Amino acid sequence: MKQSVLALTLLAFTLVATPFAAEGVKVEKQEWSFQGLRGSYDKDQLLRGYTVFTNVCMACHSAKYVSHRDMMRAGFTEAEVQALAKNLNMNIDQKLLTAQDNQTAVETFGKIPPDLSLMTKARAGLADYTYALLTGYSEDPELIAHTFPKGLPAGAHYNKYFPGHAIAMPNPLTGPDMVTYHDQTPASVEQMAKDVTLFMQWAAEPERIERQHMGLYVILYLVIFTLLAYLTKRVIWKDVKGH
Amino acid sequence: MAHTPGSKQVENDIRNTYQWLEDRLPILSFINNSVGSNFMAPRNLNYMWNFGSLAGIALVLQILTGIFLAMHYKPDVAMAFDSIQHIMRDVNWGWLIRNMHMVGASFFFIVVYIHMARGLYYGSYKSPREVLWGIGVIIFLLMMATGFLGYVLPWGQMSYWGATVITNLLSVIPFIGQDIVVWLWGGYSVGDPTLNRFFVLHFVLPFVIVGIVILHIWALHEHGSNNPKGVDLKTKGDYIPFHPYYTIKDVFGLGVYLIPFTFMVFYAPEYLGHTDNNIPADPLVTPAHIVPEWYFLPFYAILRAIPIKELGVLAMFGAIAILLVLPWLDKHPVRSARFRPLYRPLYVLFLMNFVLLGWCGMMPPEGIYVLIAQAATAFYFGFFALLPILSKFEKAKPVPTSI
Repeated sequence: MKQSVLALTLLAFTLVATPFAAEGVKVEKQEWSFQGLRGSYDKDQLLRGYTVFTNVCMACHSAKYVSHRDMMRAGFTEAEVQALAKNLNMNIDQKLLTAQDNQTAVETFGKIPPDLSLMTKARAGLADYTYALLTGYSEDPELIAHTFPKGLPAGAHYNKYFPGHAIAMPNPLTGPDMVTYHDQTPASVEQMAKDVTLFMQWAAEPERIERQHMGLYVILYLVIFTLLAYLTKRVIWKDVKGH
Repeated sequence: MAHTPGSKQVENDIRNTYQWLEDRLPILSFINNSVGSNFMAPRNLNYMWNFGSLAGIALVLQILTGIFLAMHYKPDVAMAFDSIQHIMRDVNWGWLIRNMHMVGASFFFIVVYIHMARGLYYGSYKSPREVLWGIGVIIFLLMMATGFLGYVLPWGQMSYWGATVITNLLSVIPFIGQDIVVWLWGGYSVGDPTLNRFFVLHFVLPFVIVGIVILHIWALHEHGSNNPKGVDLKTKGDYIPFHPYYTIKDVFGLGVYLIPFTFMVFYAPEYLGHTDNNIPADPLVTPAHIVPEWYFLPFYAILRAIPIKELGVLAMFGAIAILLVLPWLDKHPVRSARFRPLYRPLYVLFLMNFVLLGWCGMMPPEGIYVLIAQAATAFYFGFFALLPILSKFEKAKPVPTSI
């Protein structure tokens, strides 16, 4: 029984480890501050991501579950979020909605741009995929001709990581310095993509840091509990024949 | 129960609370006889016997977290997805309750699968425990129904399309299939009436499961637990009281269970889910691959392995229904696989094959995957077909007369 359980567990892990049927291109893993048992959202990076999001993404996309007040969960003070909201002529409880109306969007892009509140966990590859997509645009004619011998579909743009490679969204991060960062970090395309992905990750999981920090204590408690339960079990069972 | 009312000596001093209550409603002794020091269990049960009570705890956890989720959830196609985000973001500890419920569902199935595999290995389904086993299979079926219904409620893309695919299976019923599907949907596609009734059923079924679990435990008490050697116990010394021996062992087992459970709740709550379910349901966009929850994958693979839809549906339900007649397929007099040199390796292959089927279930239904799934499906049913033959010809190793 024991051997078969072990063999089975190994088999299950091997099979689970084989990736799901490939949709699109394999995405490169990135280092993120929110990963790991003690992960956190870096406040400066979050603010940089917010800058990119509100200046670039929000031209067309919303984050309809997210308000400025939510940023207080990530360590911003009320005065700070008040100031940020005021810059956008918003109050801190308004959700981050784009000013673009749906009809204009459909006329310009052929579809309504998706809401970004949950984007980093709504695509296979998660945050790594969002980053890859944002940095995956190419105008290399050879590359495009290779994938689309008859030319790109009308209105589509070439992206290395988008499944099918023809994406309706034009490259949002066309060049460096599209935004000015509060901390003078040079705003390269990669930097902006990285920062805005982190912001979107926070928007998707604002509770993540609380749960990661709490989880460690809960597990620690359970380890001690289990150890005590085991010792108690040994004491109670010490007279049972065969044990 | 041939009690003559009023004929017993009755404790009237309420300060003697235990006896006072006992003389009016003997619930405390009932508990003690069921899961206390008056319920005798074999002394040689190994850790595989922890999973029964663990399944009970997992069920209670699902009901408790589910009740709190239901207080904030809205079963309306226009509001369901938003109300989940409301729970995750605005409700105090909402994320914790929801993560426990999501991970809890998966862990409930892990526990029940191990519980069933235990029964299969040690022959716990054999006489006189056929009814106990059969009730267990019914609980498993109800769990699957409940899990499926629950997965629809967040109203994401996988919820919607999973519901569409699975409910459509019933359309294979001759003549009235299509009408049944329309009746089930409450319309001509999965929609608002569907979501609303799925919520009601998802809320009600767990309580039905509780009722049937009580029957399961009742049937267990009639003949007591099987044991790793699979022999009937003869002497009083072979037994130990359930409390404190197995209660403390179960508490320890619970701790071992809760550690990986907690890890998933806090660090990987959506690992076993699908990213598509974070996209709101859209009847106009079909996902590239429609995949059910992982615990359905082996049966989903059987469904897709057979190219004729009607037969596929039949095989899928048959794969579960065949468990109901297992006690009559395997009539070998020896219960435990420990003493069956042929059944034991066959059993190991069966479990590996089951995992392989699960893997096929998550792969696209094309090319080599279909062939593997077909071979694995054949083996799944082949295992059950071999059991009557083994019952006749398999020579068992010497079985000890007692534990």
